Amino acid sequence: MKILVADDSRVMRQIVIRTLRQAGYDGHDVVEAENGRDALDKVGSEQPDLVLSDWNMPEMTGIECLRALRASGSDVPFGFVTSEGSDEMRSTAAAAGALFLIAKPFTPEAFDAALAPVLG
Amino acid sequence: MSAPTGPTTGPSISELLDADVVRSIADDVWLAMVGEDEVLLPLPGPAPEHPLSAWVEVVGPWNGAVVLTCDRATAEELTRCVLRANPPEHVVDEDVEDAFGELANVLGGGVKSLLPGPSALGLPEVGPTPSAAPASDTCRVDAQWRGQSLTISVQGATPASSHTERNEVPL
Repeated sequence: MKILVADDSRVMRQIVIRTLRQAGYDGHDVVEAENGRDALDKVGSEQPDLVLSDWNMPEMTGIECLRALRASGSDVPFGFVTSEGSDEMRSTAAAAGALFLIAKPFTPEAFDAALAPVLG
Repeated sequence: MSAPTGPTTGPSISELLDADVVRSIADDVWLAMVGEDEVLLPLPGPAPEHPLSAWVEVVGPWNGAVVLTCDRATAEELTRCVLRANPPEHVVDEDVEDAFGELANVLGGGVKSLLPGPSALGLPEVGPTPSAAPASDTCRVDAQWRGQSLTISVQGATPASSHTERNEVPL
């Protein structure tokens, strides 16, 4: 499977990828995107099986990316990994079609709980 | 640099959270991002000789910023830990700006989750320490990490030039 990790922070992308491995998801291909616009493009070109996206990014936010994907007909599984985990954001994310929202700081266990239903 | 900006018309931060709450958020961030054995000691230390700050702005019923400040060398050491650089290697300015900013970003997310909403969090910025806010609208945590001073200041907006419009990311 292929996972697209979108975050404007290279450091945070590294942390997300490291946590994926720690959670036991180390056999998957990982593609990185620097913002929502880049993620939107790479969903088209890379055809990932899952998108893990930050919310707050320049150029295009994660929620804007998700809405653009759904508007274009893409149903790629999409989850947020973000520093903000309020009820308001969770409901906004769910309404836009996100499967889950993992709040930073996160643990490998939180990743596994969110990803297991998607990646098995 | 930009400082936390905009008028504060709502409640002061002391009405919304206290230092113990901020310390608890920081403890979680340190464990998850800096390292499982890394702890923040709740002890004030000497002011940093070459201070560097990272911060995120909060815009909503409470306006202000969450500011993380320490010596530049401490920020570099934090960056090596966040990157899990093994063996410890030289980190470039871009790494420090990214990792140090992300620490402030995640601290800010934790603080924002406890504030009345709807609020928006800005993108992290790194630079010289922003102007202090009045003590009445500041929640400050002094700590030490690996023997080095570090402060986390949740501080109300000051009447400096505004960058919030550029950075604000709405729901």
